[in-house]
Amino acid sequence: MSKKKLATVWLGGCSGCHMSLLDIDERILDVAKLADIVKSPVVDGKEFPEVDIALVEGSVTSDEHHREILHIRKHCKTLIAFGDCAVMTNVTGMRNYFDLKDVFETSYVHAISNDHIGLVPDHPSLLKLNDKVVPLQEVVKVDFVIPGCPPDADTIFYVLFEFLNDRIPNLSEAKKLKYG
Amino acid sequence: MNKISVIIDEKKFDVDPQKTILEVCRENGIEILTMCHLKGLMDIGACRLCIVEVEGINRLLSACTTKVAPNMVVKTATDRIKRYQRITTELFFAERNHVCAVCVSNGKCELQNLGYKVELDHIRYPHLFPQCEVDTSHPWYVMDHNRCIMCTRCVRVCNEVEGAHNWDVMNRGHQVRIISDFNTPWGQSTTCTSCGKCLHACPTGAIWPKAIVQGQLEKNPVMVTELVERRKMKL
Repeated sequence: MSKKKLATVWLGGCSGCHMSLLDIDERILDVAKLADIVKSPVVDGKEFPEVDIALVEGSVTSDEHHREILHIRKHCKTLIAFGDCAVMTNVTGMRNYFDLKDVFETSYVHAISNDHIGLVPDHPSLLKLNDKVVPLQEVVKVDFVIPGCPPDADTIFYVLFEFLNDRIPNLSEAKKLKYG
Repeated sequence: MNKISVIIDEKKFDVDPQKTILEVCRENGIEILTMCHLKGLMDIGACRLCIVEVEGINRLLSACTTKVAPNMVVKTATDRIKRYQRITTELFFAERNHVCAVCVSNGKCELQNLGYKVELDHIRYPHLFPQCEVDTSHPWYVMDHNRCIMCTRCVRVCNEVEGAHNWDVMNRGHQVRIISDFNTPWGQSTTCTSCGKCLHACPTGAIWPKAIVQGQLEKNPVMVTELVERRKMKL
């Protein structure tokens, strides 16, 4: 059996899911026997290549994320929504209750830590935030979800190991379903 | 007392005709999911999770508000029931803002546990993301409408057990809200006795004490049931 290609992506999230991924500890060697991690925040590389499995953390919050997730969907066979933000927006989606303008002003203008006149950053090279944060499933077809904030390392390893061995995991049966 | 026979999930039971389907199931170890039911309070059939199929009746009935009848044939775990329970649970999550990661009830929440039981891993409906109020005016407690699922256990415990009737319900549909007195801040209530029964009756993190931080809240809804049972005892 040839080695599979694995990518992990960090969209609108806190990277906690990636921390939890690192918590699989020495079991990363079992993953490495079956797959090469070809793209990840911890792997150097610019373009997102063709992969078998993509673990996508975080929700879609901006035009850049939107482009990215469409690109990932085209170039991966199995797309896994990784963590509560990717599955149901979670903390990232808490700004959805307010107008985007108010959110910016609260952060950059009225923040207590502001000791100067606050300015909202608007450089053309910066990404543009969407009005509403949405989970991955509202933009692309998602093949599998791992909820949890963050998901347990055991759960992540279980899902990865099953997919790498061409099996479909079942979180309920494995008693690994968790949110928050 | 005369007993009647009912068949639940192909098993025959001889039961007291005053009982509801839910009571019979719970007494005989048949699992029925509930959210708005709290033993000791009046049942209202609001959450629609305890739905069962009764032979000869086309629609699903709520087990908590339906009394057993002679020779009734009940099914509690068909695919149709499971499908509706999953949909109902998803709508609970999609209607308001349930962010488990920042909630006081995280890990000890009846809504989370319900999600695990119906095998909910994601929500197929778009979230409404309503802007909900958080009432922190009470000196000890907080009412967070983001996490409320409108089970109205707080309303019933306040009215039926404490006798204060601080809580009530306002509006309809997705705009429905729990209110204190005539929709005034909880801290200004003239009826609230600050007994804290609503806090223990609440299945989620909607009502919580200010002394608690994320994931630390332990509720004790059984306390309400025990209180009601003890009041029935003859001294």
